[in-house]
Amino acid sequence: MSRGTLRALVLPTVAFLALLVVWEAVVALLGVQQIVLPRPTAVAVTLVDKAGPIAFHARYTLATTLIGFGAAVGSGLLLGFAIGASVTVHEALYPLLVGFNSIPKAAVVPLLVMWFGIGAVPAVLTAFLLAFFPVAVNVALGLATLEAELRDVLRALGASRWQIFVKVGVPRTMPMFFASLKVAISSAFVGSVISETVASNAGIGYLMAVAASDFNTRLAFAGLFVLAAMGVALYGIFAAVERRLTAWAYAD
Amino acid sequence: MVELDHVGFSYRGRGGITVAVVDVSLRVARGATVAFVGPSGCGKSTLLRLVAGLLRATAGVVTVDGRRVEAPLKNVGMAFQNPVLLPWRTVLGNVLLPFEILDAHRDGDAADRHAQADRAQELLRTVGLGGLAGKHPRELSGGMRQRVSLCRALVHEPELLLLDEPFAALDAFTREEMWELHQTLRQTREFTGVLVTHDLREAVFLTDTIYVMATNPGRIAHVHQVGLGFPRRLADCESAPATALIHAMREQIRQAH
Repeated sequence: MSRGTLRALVLPTVAFLALLVVWEAVVALLGVQQIVLPRPTAVAVTLVDKAGPIAFHARYTLATTLIGFGAAVGSGLLLGFAIGASVTVHEALYPLLVGFNSIPKAAVVPLLVMWFGIGAVPAVLTAFLLAFFPVAVNVALGLATLEAELRDVLRALGASRWQIFVKVGVPRTMPMFFASLKVAISSAFVGSVISETVASNAGIGYLMAVAASDFNTRLAFAGLFVLAAMGVALYGIFAAVERRLTAWAYAD
Repeated sequence: MVELDHVGFSYRGRGGITVAVVDVSLRVARGATVAFVGPSGCGKSTLLRLVAGLLRATAGVVTVDGRRVEAPLKNVGMAFQNPVLLPWRTVLGNVLLPFEILDAHRDGDAADRHAQADRAQELLRTVGLGGLAGKHPRELSGGMRQRVSLCRALVHEPELLLLDEPFAALDAFTREEMWELHQTLRQTREFTGVLVTHDLREAVFLTDTIYVMATNPGRIAHVHQVGLGFPRRLADCESAPATALIHAMREQIRQAH
């Protein structure tokens, strides 16, 4: 590990630990009630005590997030290719896509619950709806920005549209596609948790909703910490995937 | 080999119909290289695309090798000011791209592929990039990238080489190196060339015939034969006849505005 990466890991960790210390000190010195703001150490104790149920709910949230994300990547890729490859499809669908994306997705959850009932399906669908857009738009953009000169070079060799798409369009879109994955996984995660908070009987979102209704602030904070850790981990994994697979796009 | 007979091209844009070029007639003999020079917007690049079949003439007839051009020609080599290499491929992979597109080469067996790679390597040695076949474009300088782009345009031995200001973005020294390289390539392989350029010395050094174009609408205003033999040296561009020709063309372009 180089000094640069070590620094990039150590500095935020130190800052985070410092924040926890300040938080602990402020709560202790000002005598803030635990029901309003629990101490970080108390939250840690809850995390350990309730490790079993928390792990169960975390796995559930992870599963709905990943299923919604997977579906969003597959269909986002296909729609992105269609929009990027055809001017007609672009003119017909792109405005719809932008309009659709401007709907706050939380507003769709009640409809989903009406159709599919309380449970995993609305969570998966909400994750899908949030993650779909960044993938489709990035892929479409990658294809649409193909250099005119490169297209001419290939066409003057007798290349078909399909050959141009496969040889050049798809590979040069990959950096933008992989860049969209880290945005999409975060969006999917947000979607799952929103839906769980409103209408579910499992998942970290559900856990936090229940904790809040019991005024169990410690457990709510424990859930929040788990969400933060999961969100950072998921983003980190896909940011690393992006760097590995598209090194050529970032070397300059 | 290339023949334009009263060729015109116009297109419908936002402000109505725009006439890009009008009534262009010329012949380029097999193995000759010609240049189009002129002010911006005179339709030089349009003519190049008409020859390649990337655009279809809206008037007149374009013929290449006796056949009327109505769709993109196959087997043409093109290079532009922007080398547009594929950044995810090595230098060799970029040069081999045409073989993956052309019908005659696409379904070759291992032996064919080997022969193609040999040919690409040899061409890279000719342009002075022999040791760099495994590098990626980002590791090369602008001049080196432009050499790779030229190799890609020539590796499949096209009969027609179309160059659209290929050296315009290079520094003066590299540009002159590229001129000499072009001359070397021209002596070792047979192709008919069309060059679009803003650089009058470049046109004089590289070509046999120069067409000076005028704008509004784009058309050929003057034709000059370059009376220099081959091989040429850079000093030949500074000889009295060459200098006189360059001065004459500069005046013609000024008046064409």
